[in-house]
Amino acid sequence: MLRIVLKIDGERIVDLDPVLGYLHRGVEKICENGDWHHAISNCDPLEYAASMFSEAMPVLAAEKLLDLEVPRRAEYIRVLAWELNRVASHALFIGWLALDLGGLTPILYGFIERDEIVEMLAALTGQRVLFNYLRIGGVNGDLNHDFMSRLGDWMGHALHRIEDQQRLLNANEIFVRRTKGLGIVDRDIARRTCLSGPVLRATGVPYDVRRAHPYSVYPELDFEIPTREEGDSYARYLLHLDEIKQSIRIIDQVLHQMPDGPVMAKIPRLLRIPPGRAYISVESPRGQYSCYAMSDGSDQPFRLRIHDPSFFNLQAVGLVMPGNLIADTMAVMASLDPIMGGVDK
Amino acid sequence: MSVITRPWSRLTLAGKIVIPLIFLFVLLNVLLIAGFATGVLPFLGGLLLRIINDNVDIVRFIGAVTALLLFTVPAAFVIIFMELKLIAFVNLRLGPNRQGPWGVLSSTLHGLKVLAKEDFTPTGADVPVFTLAPVVTYLGAVMTIMVIPFAPGLFGIDLNIGLLYFFAVAGLTTIGLIMAGWASFNKYSLLGGLRAAAAIISAEIPLTLAAVGVILLTGTLSLNEIVLRQAGSALDWFVFQQPLGFVVFFIAATIEAGRTPFDMAEADSEIVAGFATEYSGMRFGFFFFAEYVNLFIISALTVTLFLGGWNAPFDIAIVLDRLGIVVDPTLDPGSLGMGLLWLLLLVPPIAILLLALPFWLLRSDWSLLKSLVVGFLLFNLVVMVLVGIWAYMSFPFVAGIFWFLGKTFTLVALFVIMRGTLPRIRIDQLMGVAWKWLIPAALLNIFITAAAIVILRDPSLPWNGGG
Repeated sequence: MLRIVLKIDGERIVDLDPVLGYLHRGVEKICENGDWHHAISNCDPLEYAASMFSEAMPVLAAEKLLDLEVPRRAEYIRVLAWELNRVASHALFIGWLALDLGGLTPILYGFIERDEIVEMLAALTGQRVLFNYLRIGGVNGDLNHDFMSRLGDWMGHALHRIEDQQRLLNANEIFVRRTKGLGIVDRDIARRTCLSGPVLRATGVPYDVRRAHPYSVYPELDFEIPTREEGDSYARYLLHLDEIKQSIRIIDQVLHQMPDGPVMAKIPRLLRIPPGRAYISVESPRGQYSCYAMSDGSDQPFRLRIHDPSFFNLQAVGLVMPGNLIADTMAVMASLDPIMGGVDK
Repeated sequence: MSVITRPWSRLTLAGKIVIPLIFLFVLLNVLLIAGFATGVLPFLGGLLLRIINDNVDIVRFIGAVTALLLFTVPAAFVIIFMELKLIAFVNLRLGPNRQGPWGVLSSTLHGLKVLAKEDFTPTGADVPVFTLAPVVTYLGAVMTIMVIPFAPGLFGIDLNIGLLYFFAVAGLTTIGLIMAGWASFNKYSLLGGLRAAAAIISAEIPLTLAAVGVILLTGTLSLNEIVLRQAGSALDWFVFQQPLGFVVFFIAATIEAGRTPFDMAEADSEIVAGFATEYSGMRFGFFFFAEYVNLFIISALTVTLFLGGWNAPFDIAIVLDRLGIVVDPTLDPGSLGMGLLWLLLLVPPIAILLLALPFWLLRSDWSLLKSLVVGFLLFNLVVMVLVGIWAYMSFPFVAGIFWFLGKTFTLVALFVIMRGTLPRIRIDQLMGVAWKWLIPAALLNIFITAAAIVILRDPSLPWNGGG
C-alpha cells in the first residue's frame, strides 16, 4: 500500500516522491484507549511480517516501568520466538526481492520456509501471523510437544534450504547485475535518515541493538553481527542470508541453554503501571524497533510512541533512486524492505 | 408428439435445441430432393468443382490459412497448460489440478473466461487503433506459421523467400504492440509499448544475422529446402555446424518472443501489465494468445533452422535392422478376408477381459465393473499406441509431425522452465546484450561460416581438387 510518484525522463528517474498513509489505522491512538494488555494485540499488525517484534513494544515498556523481573525461561522462549520470526521474515525478504525482479520461484521457496516456521509458531501461540503471544511478565503458554517436534524437523534442514536459495540466486548473473552497485546507501545517507538494521549494517556499521543496547538474554548468547561494506542491494541480500545463519545459531544455543521454571511472573490481575516514562528498543528484522511509553498511573497507556524502522528505511529511497531506471525502483524498494503496516501505523 | 404442440417457452433446453434441428432436417431433405429432381444441385456442384479446379492455389491458400488459424488456438492452450504445470513443478507447487485430470482443461477455461469478460475501452483511447492493435499482433503471429514446414509436404506455402517473409511478418507484431501502447492513453501502456519496440528492434538484427549462417550453408531462403538439407541423422542438423549461430539465435528469439528473462515489456512488478494494461476481455485474450503463438512459432523456427525440422534424429529403420528386427508395416486388410471380421469382433472383448483380469485378481477392493473400465481404457491406450506406431511407419508426414512437434514443444518447455528460474533483465542491459554481444557474435559467425565454405568448397583451391 505504498504509492510512489515518479518523475521520469524516458526510463530514467528524475525525482521520486513516496506517498504514505494508505494503511494508516491510528494504532498509537487506539492503544491509548485500551488497557496495556490490549495494546499487545493492537501492536501486533504493525509489522505483519514479524509481529513478534512489534507486539513486544508495550510488553517491554510496561515491564521497564514496573521494574519487573521476567522468569528466565520466559526470556529464553521470547528469544526463541523472536529469532524464529526473524528467519521467517528474512526468508520472505529474499523471495520478495527476487519476485520484484521478475523471478517467480524464490518467493515460493521463501514461503515454504516461512510457512514451516509460521505453523510452528502457530503450534506455540495459536495463531499463524498475529501471534499475541508475549505477555507483561512472560509469555502466554510454555513450549509444547507439537512445537518442539516441528522445530526439530525444521532445524534439521533449515541451513540446507538456505543454501538452496543461495544456489538459485547468488551466482545468477541476471540477479547479480540487477542488484549489484544499485541503490547504494552510504554511511552519510544512513546517518541523515536514521537508518538501522540490515540496511545500516550493509554500509559497514556493526550496529545491532542486541549487542549495542543488550536486552533480554542476548548477552548470554554467542553470535556475530554480520556486516557488508558495499551498501548496495546485493550486499543487503547477502546480509540477510548471513543473518538467517546467525539466527539459526542463536536458536541452537537457546534450545541447549533453555532453563526450567515458570513462564509468567506474578503480576496483579488489574495491572496499574506506575507513572513515568520508558524507552525500550529491540532489533527487529528491519532494524531498531523502539517505543517511548508514558504512563499516568492508570491501567491504560497515556502515550505509546512507536518508532518503526521501515519508515526510516523508506526515507532512503528518495535519496538513492534519482538517476536510476524505473525497473530499479523495485530492486531498491524490495531490498530496503519496508513493511507498510509499520510505516503508516 | 406432444412436445411439438407445447409452447416454446415451456420447452426444456434440450427440446429447444432438438426441435429446431428436426425442422431443419426436414427442410434440408425437401430442398435436397427438390434440387436433385430439378437438376439444380448437380449443376451447382459441378460449377463449384470447376471453380475449385481452376483456382486450386487460392483454395489451397484459404484452406491452409483456416487450418493454421484453427491450429493456433489448441497449440496456445497446450502451451498455456504446460506453462501453468511446469512452472508449478519448478516452484514445488501442484499447479492446476481441479479442471479435468491433472487440470488439463484449465487453460481452455481460461480462454472461455476471457471470452466472457467485459470488453472495455478507456476514455481517451484512440478507438480505431486501440481496437486494431490486438488483431495486428495476433495476425502477425499467425501469418508466420504459413511458411513453417510441419512435415514432408505439410506446409501452408513453400515460399522461396520464406525466411525473409517470416522476419518481415514477425516484425508486424511489434507494430501491434506499439499501437496498443500508444492508443491506450496510459502511462504504463506507453512505457510497455516503447520497451517492446526497443527490445524487438534490438533483437531483430542479431536474429536475422544469426540465420544468415544457415542461409550461407544452404544457399536458399526456403524453409522447406533448409529442412531437406538437414536430412540424415542428428549430426546433420545445423546446430552442430552453427553452434555460435544457434546460441545467438536462441537468445535473440527469447527477446523476440518477449519471454522471461526479457519480458520487460509487460513487467508486472514495474509497469502493471505494460502495453496490455488497458485491455480486457477477448482483446486482452488476443494479446495473451499472441504471446503463446509467438512462443510456438519462434520455437518452430529454431527447430526448422537448427534442429533439423521434421527430420528424425536417427533413422529408426536402420536401428531396427541392426537389431535384427524386421518390421513390415504394410498391411492389406483385404487379404484377411472373413478373418478381418472375426478379428474386429473377437479381439476387443478378449483383450479387454485379459487386461482387466490382473486388476480384478490383484486388487481385492476393486469391483468387476471398475476393473473392466480400466481394462477398456488400457485396451484403448494400447490400440492407440499400436495405430500410432503403424501410422508412424507407414506415412512419412505422421513421423514428420511427431518429430517436429516433439522438438518444438521441448524447446517451448525450455522457455517455460527459463521463465520459472530466471529474474527479469533491465531494458538497458538487454540493449547492451543485443548490440554489444549478440550482433558482433552473429557477424563473427557469418565470417567464420563464409570462410569455412570458401575453404572447404571452392573447387579452385588445391585441396578441393583444383589447381
